[in-house]
Amino acid sequence: MMLIAGTVPVKGLPLTMAKVRAEGESLVIDSHHIPCTQGTGATISAALAATDYLKLEPPQVLVVGDIGKGKGSREIYEYLIQRVGELSPAVLVLHYCLPDMALMRRLCQSIKGCSQRPLMVADAGSMYAAKAAGLATEFDIFTPDAAELAFLADQGATHPAYINRHLFDTDIARLPRLIVDAYRHRNAAKLLLVKGATDYIVRDGDILATIAEPDVPELEAIGGTGDSVTGLVSAFSYIGLELHEAAIIAAKTNRMAGKFASVTPAAGVRQIIGQFPSVFREYLCHWSGVCHVEGGNYHD
Amino acid sequence: MAPPNRKQKSRFEGGGLVLFTAVREAMEAQRVLKKTGYLVKLVAPPAELRRGCDLAVEINLVEKPGIERLLDHRNVAYLSVIPIKVGTSELLEVVKVTDFGDWLMVKAGNMKLTFDKESGVVVNTSGGGCPDIPYLHAELISKLLTEAPRPRDIGFTLCALMLDHAFEEGCILWQGARQP
Repeated sequence: MMLIAGTVPVKGLPLTMAKVRAEGESLVIDSHHIPCTQGTGATISAALAATDYLKLEPPQVLVVGDIGKGKGSREIYEYLIQRVGELSPAVLVLHYCLPDMALMRRLCQSIKGCSQRPLMVADAGSMYAAKAAGLATEFDIFTPDAAELAFLADQGATHPAYINRHLFDTDIARLPRLIVDAYRHRNAAKLLLVKGATDYIVRDGDILATIAEPDVPELEAIGGTGDSVTGLVSAFSYIGLELHEAAIIAAKTNRMAGKFASVTPAAGVRQIIGQFPSVFREYLCHWSGVCHVEGGNYHD
Repeated sequence: MAPPNRKQKSRFEGGGLVLFTAVREAMEAQRVLKKTGYLVKLVAPPAELRRGCDLAVEINLVEKPGIERLLDHRNVAYLSVIPIKVGTSELLEVVKVTDFGDWLMVKAGNMKLTFDKESGVVVNTSGGGCPDIPYLHAELISKLLTEAPRPRDIGFTLCALMLDHAFEEGCILWQGARQP
């Protein structure tokens, strides 16, 4: 099972865990309708687009309403702390949650009780908490943007709002230096997918690939385009691709979808995710070797 | 689904301190914050951070904007809210601007806000990772910079504060461009 956990900006939504499906422009989770917008909704939508295309079971999701007060976030942490052992997901994606170092510490401890350790993916507030608590190396994949990479490289920062100014001012040519520092301080997951004008795929400190084409600079302005990359890399890891391959295909898919959609900075992430099936049809076989899908089994 | 019962009390690890000039203020702040649902703890500040009395309130630093707003509303006096870690940088104030032709994107820390140069309408926000960011995204999109709610007024976290810096700079840029 691939489990995606995070908050959504729906006031009053109770803690809910269920398989997800798409209905029109919404996601439906146990009869609750969730918008496909920036945040956990975009990550779930992207992962669902991939599993639908590959005819795999849809992601299981754990969501709760939280508009920043933190109560819902704490419910997610507590639920996972107590249940992750019995759930034993193959892939666990931790997304928008109020960063809480103590709860993240307890969650990582609980994960040690899983019969098989899940592949651990973190982005957004969950990535902030993992880094601030010194637990980054417990994770397999982080998906930071350039400012978040600066946060990972800054040993003293507990949130990207407190990164050192000279790191924030770093131009793109110096991102490799930030990557080195993030790994030197043990603040990086095993694999980093650094999202930006050029995407960097990094494993254990080594830059394995850079992706700069197609060049769609408008993507940076569109809320949720980083979240959709996180959903894609999680789904491609779930089907068993090597992590760096999953990351490369995720980055390429997002860029190509932006190109297909001819996005402007005023576009919504739904327009981009809506292009994923077209991108998969045209490129996935070529990029990944996943060419024929028959009832959940895929073949070269 | 009901959340599971909390059997184990969380050890609090907040990363931020509210500093005061008087013990009484610290105790009052703790009472107000706890009553509202914030996880907080009365602590002695490290010697190098003492700025007045010897009692401080430890908070989750990420919740700084919401906590400052609540203390202001309740008229609880405090000196400042700071990171516990000595040597932590000051809150990032610098912004960067990208011109997309018809749109300007203003970036502050991990947050970005994009608006239409002609109309001043917010067309996108991106970046960040705290739970109020998708909420703020929904609240700001399609609204005029001059009419949209300030992220600092309806958000709760440091990501919201960064978005507010971008918003403020966006207002300055847009209004500046419209002056003869």
